Amino acid sequence: MTDSPNVHHYGGDLFEGYPVDTADTAGDQAVTNYTINFGPQHPAAHGVLRLVLELDGEIIERVDPHVGLLHRGTEKLIEYKTYLQALPYFDRLDYCSPLGMEHSYVLAIEKLLDLEVPDRAQYLRVLFAELTRICNHMLNIGSHVMDVGAMTPNLWVFELREDCLNFFERASGARMHSAWFRPGGVHQDVPERLLYDIGEWCEKRLPKLFGDAMSLVIDNRIFKQRNVDIATVSKEDALAWGFSGPMIRGSGIAWDLRKSQPYDAYAKMDFEIPVGTRGDCYDRFMVRVQEVYQSARIILQCINEMPSGPIASLDRKVVPPKRGEMKQSMESLIHHFKLYTEGFHVPAGEVYVATESPKGEFGVYLVSDGSNKPYRCKIRPTAFSHLQAMDMMSKGHMLADTTAIIGAIDVVFGECDR
Amino acid sequence: MSSSIILPPGQMPVAPGTNPDAGFFDDLNSEVGDKGFLVTSTEDLFNWARTGSLWWMTFGLACCAVEMIHVNMPRYDMERFGAAPRASPRQSDVMIVAGTLCNKMAPALRRVYDQMSNPKYVISMGSCANGGGYYHYSYSVVRGCDRIVPVDIYVPGCPPTAEALLYGVMQLQRKIRRVGTIER
Amino acid sequence: MAHPAPLIAPRATLAAELKTLLGADLLAHVFTVDEDSITVDRDAIAGVMVALRDNLEYQQMMEIAGVDYPDRPERFEVVYHLLSVTKNHRLRVRVSTDEATPVPTIVPVWPNAGWLEREVFDMYGVLFAGNPDLRRILTDYGFQGHPQRKDFPLTGYTELRYSEEDKRVVYEPVKLAQDFRNFDFMSPWEGADYVLPGDEKAGGTGEAPGKGAPTPMTAAEVKKADEAKAPPPPTPKTTESTTQTGAGAKANIKAAKTSRDGASAKTATKAAKTPATAKAEKAPTKPRAPRKPKAGGDA
Repeated sequence: MTDSPNVHHYGGDLFEGYPVDTADTAGDQAVTNYTINFGPQHPAAHGVLRLVLELDGEIIERVDPHVGLLHRGTEKLIEYKTYLQALPYFDRLDYCSPLGMEHSYVLAIEKLLDLEVPDRAQYLRVLFAELTRICNHMLNIGSHVMDVGAMTPNLWVFELREDCLNFFERASGARMHSAWFRPGGVHQDVPERLLYDIGEWCEKRLPKLFGDAMSLVIDNRIFKQRNVDIATVSKEDALAWGFSGPMIRGSGIAWDLRKSQPYDAYAKMDFEIPVGTRGDCYDRFMVRVQEVYQSARIILQCINEMPSGPIASLDRKVVPPKRGEMKQSMESLIHHFKLYTEGFHVPAGEVYVATESPKGEFGVYLVSDGSNKPYRCKIRPTAFSHLQAMDMMSKGHMLADTTAIIGAIDVVFGECDR
Repeated sequence: MSSSIILPPGQMPVAPGTNPDAGFFDDLNSEVGDKGFLVTSTEDLFNWARTGSLWWMTFGLACCAVEMIHVNMPRYDMERFGAAPRASPRQSDVMIVAGTLCNKMAPALRRVYDQMSNPKYVISMGSCANGGGYYHYSYSVVRGCDRIVPVDIYVPGCPPTAEALLYGVMQLQRKIRRVGTIER
Repeated sequence: MAHPAPLIAPRATLAAELKTLLGADLLAHVFTVDEDSITVDRDAIAGVMVALRDNLEYQQMMEIAGVDYPDRPERFEVVYHLLSVTKNHRLRVRVSTDEATPVPTIVPVWPNAGWLEREVFDMYGVLFAGNPDLRRILTDYGFQGHPQRKDFPLTGYTELRYSEEDKRVVYEPVKLAQDFRNFDFMSPWEGADYVLPGDEKAGGTGEAPGKGAPTPMTAAEVKKADEAKAPPPPTPKTTESTTQTGAGAKANIKAAKTSRDGASAKTATKAAKTPATAKAEKAPTKPRAPRKPKAGGDA
């Protein structure tokens, strides 16, 4: 206010004769930067993130994310388990999209074994990987809009997520941690009725409820003000920082591993890759919204083209026999016993297999020494690279934008910290 | 749809005899119905109030946090039991430890617990919080959150379903009715 | 190539291009399991990365993994995974190092290397010269040791407890109620070096009776125990290729023929008449190299 002469004039006149406080007003003081702790227990941190924020007033100068608060030693534990025993650890990495994590792992094992997977298993995997993608995006979209102030859409999309969990339960018996993808195929076949129900859900309930929920936010002025032009990332930056998934697509690079390096039955699927134009939080959000519709499209194709046949490889050195078979044949019984005690041996070698998980490129670098346990299993989390760019993305933004940025990154700490 | 499934208004959808603390509620009902007022001890009054508004601290750590969110969402709607999520430990009565407690997080968990006002309760949700679970032998995991904070209710499962957590909360209400005192 | 893993077309001229581009810095180039991996000179890694990014279009560095091979003179491998979004190709670059020798950082080439190098440092203790912020990242504040090293015990050395006396969380040495059960899957008749309970009189190696399978030991103890015992088991039970596991295309065909599911219509007609799955499986195809047929056989 020092630049306005009027203030001085009136101030001088009005308070003539009164004792005037000559201390500096707030604007005249030099404000030093200060540091605050965000988390590790914060409802908008999406888990156990701790951010050390250096603020100039309310403007972020520097962010130092502290991760590892959920470091469970997964990679070390995997080295002590057989290949099959290690599988459920992958469910628990990114607990919002469990089957997406399993997908990379089983593909890595199959690549080392050079194991053929029957068509039906591939279709089932693609179907459920896409259902997982919807499930994950429901959580992310819901919590993102809730973090920036909207309540209702979250309640609606969680109802859809609840439907997804029911589908998982009907296929595998577990709501979240299915452990349903197995090396060589899937664990059990699905009931026909389930496929029918998923198809109907994708055609009717999902577009209606999801469309309703999104109609509340995508053109909403407040939502746009909180997200548009927040944390803009250029194409060059996105490449340099190792972005993947909706983050890189939000920046305008049409890079999707399902298209460019197709695995399982994705080569036969017809779908589109949504990309953003500005690379801000709003674009990342919209990419996810569009991906939900594309996933539904893939699911419907899977259901329509679902071939019949075995749901797992018939190689009995890797895939255990069915229970009925075990009661008939001695060999099956021996195979079953050996597979569930010793497990199968994987030839020595190393592979890096990355799939398009809902959050981006989820890779598994598997080193085998020829025994029945992985020698080394390095997990490439998506959030690790994205979270690292927090400092770059949030510099110069307001403190309140942090929640929008974290929400748009879609970070889950089970995966980030491992 | 047979008509027997549709309940008369006001009746709980449980089989007779399985309603926990049925006697307690029956006595309450008949007393209010008889006299139009209720005589009770302060202690009972306090316990009644406590069970009816268990505001819980969201301590979502890992996978179980997702089920903890689900229990609040429309399908299970835990708020109908008066249990509402709070983000601040100062406002909450019960902490739900949902997920793997790691060494790095443990001091923070204790700090949050210490900040909660008395009387405070802890629900340990899931195998990891109960005893380390799948990660029991890891070098970085606390083998049970009861090493750090006293636990009232253990909910088993990996993760427990939303119903299981809901049942755990109802068990906690029951425990408060049974053993609750004014000073705790 | 029967597996359904992500399909990456090989770059035809990659080997020649790498040779001309990297020259003496390229120590080895192998193509196995449909993946290219090169080993390069450790001190030249930063320059190599710039060359790979600018000349061979590997725009993204997705991952840095450490691997520990305690037997090697340079025990650690640092493995970089590069991705080219224009050529749609992946390349693995590896360097090796030991506890003391630092690896030059590649943060100036890819900024996201910062955290990944921190992680390798945290997990293995590999030093990165020039990394601007080489702190621990995943493990606890004040953690001792490097957990992913093969000689670091799974359960670590310390555990946490809240102490009522001190009113704070305290660290104590690990005390487990039950040890981690690490099973030895060596068949008893294939040269196990211990006596099973109940087999003492059968004339084993004369160890103390009643001694079961060894409970987990530290790496040092295992080494000591191995040294004490003459001769080591003749063949380490490892598998080098798919021919030895029996997995692969051949086994798939064979297994498909003998399946009794009848789930696959094509195979069902063939399999319908063969009454015994056993019969077909009994026919020896290829003896599995390290095992005696009696023991390994079909199991």
